[in-house]
Amino acid sequence: MSATTYDRLVEIVTTVHDAPTHRISPDITFAQLDVDSLTMVEIGMRIERDLGVHITDDELSEDLTLGATSTLIETRLGQ
Amino acid sequence: MFSSPAPTPTTATAPPAVPPARAAVLCGLGGWLPSRVVTNEELSRRLDTSDAWIRTRTGITQRYAAGPGEATSDLAVAAGRRALRSAGAPEADAVVVATTTPDRSCPATAPLVADRLGLAGACAFDVGAVCTGFVYGLASAAGLIAAGVAERVLLIGADTYSTIVDPEDRANAIIFGDGAGAVVLRAGSPTEPGAVGHFDLGSDGAGEELIMVAAGGSRRRPAPGPAERPDGYFAMRGKEVYRHAVTRMTASARASLALAGLKTDDIDRLVPHQANARILRSVAQELELPPDRLVSNVATVGNTGAASVPLALADAAARDGLRPGERVLLTAFGGGLTWGSCLLTWPALGPTIHPHDGGGTPAP
Repeated sequence: MSATTYDRLVEIVTTVHDAPTHRISPDITFAQLDVDSLTMVEIGMRIERDLGVHITDDELSEDLTLGATSTLIETRLGQ
Repeated sequence: MFSSPAPTPTTATAPPAVPPARAAVLCGLGGWLPSRVVTNEELSRRLDTSDAWIRTRTGITQRYAAGPGEATSDLAVAAGRRALRSAGAPEADAVVVATTTPDRSCPATAPLVADRLGLAGACAFDVGAVCTGFVYGLASAAGLIAAGVAERVLLIGADTYSTIVDPEDRANAIIFGDGAGAVVLRAGSPTEPGAVGHFDLGSDGAGEELIMVAAGGSRRRPAPGPAERPDGYFAMRGKEVYRHAVTRMTASARASLALAGLKTDDIDRLVPHQANARILRSVAQELELPPDRLVSNVATVGNTGAASVPLALADAAARDGLRPGERVLLTAFGGGLTWGSCLLTWPALGPTIHPHDGGGTPAP
């Protein structure tokens, strides 16, 4: 998990979802941040648009941590 | 031998001889909602949901439902009558009804609507493009007028989703509502206010299963005996539809702007299909449109299918939210998949009755 990818993911999440900043960490899941299913779709669309990585709606589960999501993005990027 | 002069030889650089274009010009508007309001509270008593849950996910606080025995044509007639009144004359030589919930699978609903509005004899047919139906209908009306088939078209978007959504289906029962909206289009010039143009229409049939009523058509015919319950009802794959709705409406809106040589900044009002408040917000964000230019009434009517764009127009016009001279961009997305967009400059119209105002004159 590189800081760059994680930071960009956090930027996307905080743009579409009003999460308290102090709760954001690599170990927290989307569900723990109260991100609902439609917001997950928006996050997926922005990951695709801004980071150039397609993650299906099924893969992008609300139970993923931000760290695991960042790692998934990097795997797809081949980093 | 012809005595007329020989045609002028055309050269590679000479522009083709184009007859003066006839455009469809919006000159009347009306909306109508059935009298029964279905609040989030009512749905919460019946389904495992809550007012807060519905508001957060959809931005919808209430929707309307047709009464028992009330069909799509009843709503269409009421909206059509208001549009004709707003246009100043109860006349039209073509009636187009965009709907996914026709009165019957055969015949089309438009001839009956035309007859009930005193327009018997008019060209009348339905357009099926689900929630994009109104924009497809505008293009059809523009074509009828451009080809000289019609001088004046009454276009109605009308749907009664309450007749195809499973009342026990928590996901869809909270979103959809019944209603009708109508416009009158007359023959005019492409440069005058109200002229609709710069259409972008498209489809992707590979996505037909995303928004579907599986049974009841020729693919799965109605069989004798009890129907398999879920197959006869409307079904929607929410997450995928959400994604497509945002990307398709955004791309189509951009395509219309490009055809007109315009930018988002040139748009005074964006009127998208009222699918869900979050989809609308997302489309506006993607287009980088200031939020105050987004026209929305989804909070009070829900998603009314083909009626949603004209109902949003009628709602905005009645509240002074659309003013003559404003450049308006319409965009829609629906089952099919289908999508479409077009542009017009808002014309000066007669007073528009608010769709929420039943006026004590429901369809006879």
